Amino acid sequence: MDGHPEEAMNRNDLFQKLRASAPASPEPYPDYDDAMLLSRTGHPTDLEASFRQQFTSINGYAFDSPGPLISLLRATANTRGYCDPALFPILGQPLADAGLEVSTLYHRSRYDDYQFGITRASGAIAETGTLILTDEQTSDRLAALSPWVHVAVLDPATIAPSIPEAIKRFGSSVNIIWVTGPSRTADVEGILIEGVHGPGVQVAYLSPVLSWTAPASPSF
Amino acid sequence: MSARQPIDQFAASLPGDRRSSVLGSCQAATSKRLTALADDFAHADDLRRLAARIKQHTLDHLDTYLEAATARLEEQGVKVHFASEAEEARSLIHQILAERGAKRIVKAKSMVTEEIHLNDYLIDRGLECLETDLGEFIIQIDGDIPSHIIRPITHKNRREIAQSFEREGLGAYNDDPEVITRRARVHLRDRYMKSQAGITGANFVCADSGRIVLVTNEGNSRFSMAPNPLHIAVVGIEKIIPRDRDLGVFLNLLARSATGQRLTVYTEFLRGPKAPGQPSGPEEMHVVFLDNGRSRILGSDCREILRCIRCGACQNVCPVYRQASGHAYRSTYGGPIGAVLTPLLAGDDFAAFADLPKASSLCGACREVCPVDIPIPDMLLKLRHQAHDAGIRSPGAPPMAPFAELATRPVIWRGAMTLSRAANLVPTQLLPVPALQSWLKLRTLPHWRGGEFRQWMATRKKP
Amino acid sequence: MSLAAAPTKPVSHRVLLMATCLCDAFFPEAAQATVQVLESAGCEVLFPQDQTCCGQPAFNSGDFSASRRVARHTETVFAGELPVIVPSGSCAAMHMHGNAIQFEREPDAARFDDLGRRTWELCDFLVHGLGLTSWPGSFPHRIALHHSCHTRGSGTRSAMQTLLESIDGLTLVPFAQEDQCCGFGGTFSVSFPHVSGSMGTLKLDHALKETPEFMTSADLSCLMHLSGLADRQNRPFKILHVAQILLASLPR
Repeated sequence: MDGHPEEAMNRNDLFQKLRASAPASPEPYPDYDDAMLLSRTGHPTDLEASFRQQFTSINGYAFDSPGPLISLLRATANTRGYCDPALFPILGQPLADAGLEVSTLYHRSRYDDYQFGITRASGAIAETGTLILTDEQTSDRLAALSPWVHVAVLDPATIAPSIPEAIKRFGSSVNIIWVTGPSRTADVEGILIEGVHGPGVQVAYLSPVLSWTAPASPSF
Repeated sequence: MSARQPIDQFAASLPGDRRSSVLGSCQAATSKRLTALADDFAHADDLRRLAARIKQHTLDHLDTYLEAATARLEEQGVKVHFASEAEEARSLIHQILAERGAKRIVKAKSMVTEEIHLNDYLIDRGLECLETDLGEFIIQIDGDIPSHIIRPITHKNRREIAQSFEREGLGAYNDDPEVITRRARVHLRDRYMKSQAGITGANFVCADSGRIVLVTNEGNSRFSMAPNPLHIAVVGIEKIIPRDRDLGVFLNLLARSATGQRLTVYTEFLRGPKAPGQPSGPEEMHVVFLDNGRSRILGSDCREILRCIRCGACQNVCPVYRQASGHAYRSTYGGPIGAVLTPLLAGDDFAAFADLPKASSLCGACREVCPVDIPIPDMLLKLRHQAHDAGIRSPGAPPMAPFAELATRPVIWRGAMTLSRAANLVPTQLLPVPALQSWLKLRTLPHWRGGEFRQWMATRKKP
Repeated sequence: MSLAAAPTKPVSHRVLLMATCLCDAFFPEAAQATVQVLESAGCEVLFPQDQTCCGQPAFNSGDFSASRRVARHTETVFAGELPVIVPSGSCAAMHMHGNAIQFEREPDAARFDDLGRRTWELCDFLVHGLGLTSWPGSFPHRIALHHSCHTRGSGTRSAMQTLLESIDGLTLVPFAQEDQCCGFGGTFSVSFPHVSGSMGTLKLDHALKETPEFMTSADLSCLMHLSGLADRQNRPFKILHVAQILLASLPR
């Protein structure tokens, strides 16, 4: 509450009205099994393979080595970008070695200069090919949003099988975002266009977290 | 007939290309929805009914859940406000912005802010308030209003949009949807980065966690929050659900029902201001819970309408919406949901919208697709009854008292049936019955054969 | 919320026929066919003479006091224990659902619950009541089956499909946008002439494109609207109530 007295009045009024309108026989909370919520792809046996399949079906690119990513970035002329400093050793360095321009600082005044952004995913959902980002592990929300290409580095061990399971793993994060494919619209005549405000290309870079502590951090 | 139903009149005057685009997009969306649900769930209807029960349960205990949600949000550092009607909500939001000196506002698509006409209010007070959803952005630059919950510009074609972009200085005429989208991207991201506050709605609020859930496809809600220090979410009080767990039900239904996707691209779960250490995101978060007639609807016999999760599936499938378009409904909410919600939200102005529930053949397609199984046709009937009881005249509708008189006097009924055959001898266009003439303008009537069956039944030899 | 399972409907070989006001005024053959179809399935058909109408026209227009008068009359006419068979999904729905809405707060609501429970649409009764799984005979024609809106979610749809598909030589012709309403809607058709006419025209466009020989339905109201519209547009086509097809199919 902000302490405006009229707001306190509104609040009391509203709750009074709500209590007054409660029905004589209210609907009980239904008992249900989460199994009911699982779609056709909600029972994956191989989490990583299912995730890749679903992620690819919504036009995402799943890679597990720098080579194909470098080719994609070159082919689409997205050669300058940002990398979460913690991920520099495993991905920023190979990209820099290949001649791409990689910065570990995101200056929002230069938001347009970052053609790709590499940040860490906190998990994923195999059922839907969804990447999960959280405030705790995303080095900068904007770095995962403003570049044309977003590369989410994902530890395959963090892939949840299904939506209900991903919900169980919410934890206490103040900000979680599920990203299911590239930003898109069909507002103009129902024609699907990818890359509206967010990334037009969404990459999942699958890499076990144990391999992330290779060479020393770069110095900028 | 001189008096015409406004929606029928609107539909009749709709240009052909506009009708085709509405009809076509609705047919496509309806079939995508069907495929998305049927492909993925063997018992999709069970899921809809479960969603209905969870929502109904929440509405039936809304005081408890709203209180719980408020407590969680406040614990998490969110400032929670309550507005009993539109004007209060608008001035409250203006005050929050003014106190922080925020003048440049970006907005993500939100039906509830449309409902309270927030943009105009803030713009009139010298603030810059920019819609960022591509469709809503086009609506705003055109001074238009959305015609569909999910596809606000479903009534516009690319040529009109290209002309608007040219007029607004967003580049030379080009009606390629990709070019239009890229131009909006470039134009809007600059505005996001310079904004001082972001305003969004909310799709769900979980009472057990105080989690606000926002879904978009374009990423504009994320972008409306990431660069600036202040976030205000305007939320109808009916958006509460009991638990995080229930999101599994609603998220599975919402995108499939709306666009045929399994999930929308961005599904964001917010519990408060950004985490310490996160460089981007609002440091201050407000939630404005809006009543604006909802508590009154909760006390009515149409309370189930508040289960609505704004997916637009009823609009897509509705044959009347398909012919008339959303603007025919003269309000924020068009189609079946609007035909119920608008007169209910209108309160004392009910009479002004009492014609909307008439605009239905009661075909029931809306209920079949509704992800929360709202018995919309039943409510249309109840509202028609309410209008009739209030003595509100309905153009083109024949009076029913004479019919009731006839249908409760079997001897006279039988006589009338036999006599009706005499009508075959009169040129029907001469009969002075307005309803009949309206029928005959478009259709022929079969020959009257009143009483023949009864005669056959009475005189035949039983087998 | 009506989430409980529907109460069991009574089955008997003695049935009351509610012929509907449309058959009474315009379509005697459909009512006759209903009688003969029921009799061929072994039923004794009783026809209460004082029947008029289910009251739906007034109900749909919101004049519940008028429609309740008619419904009360009808309930008296069809009092008793016997199943009430209706050759119309729409009139059946009035009994099974509509009355529940308009009698919600009335003291005699229970009588209408009972009437609703006893009411069957014809095909629903044949298949889900009497347990028929096929229909004898042949009807070598291409049929467009229009599912009337008031049969949504009822047993009628599957019942019609079962019966018609089992008839020798009968071909059901699928057409686009089958789930869309024909545009009739009772008084809707006269108070929303443009929208109603456009809906019907769309239905005709989709159905006639497949060149069926007949269109059939559980509801003559839809068929009357569509054939009347087609007639005005100079593209006449033939309609048959589903009972007429069942009768015509029977071996002589």
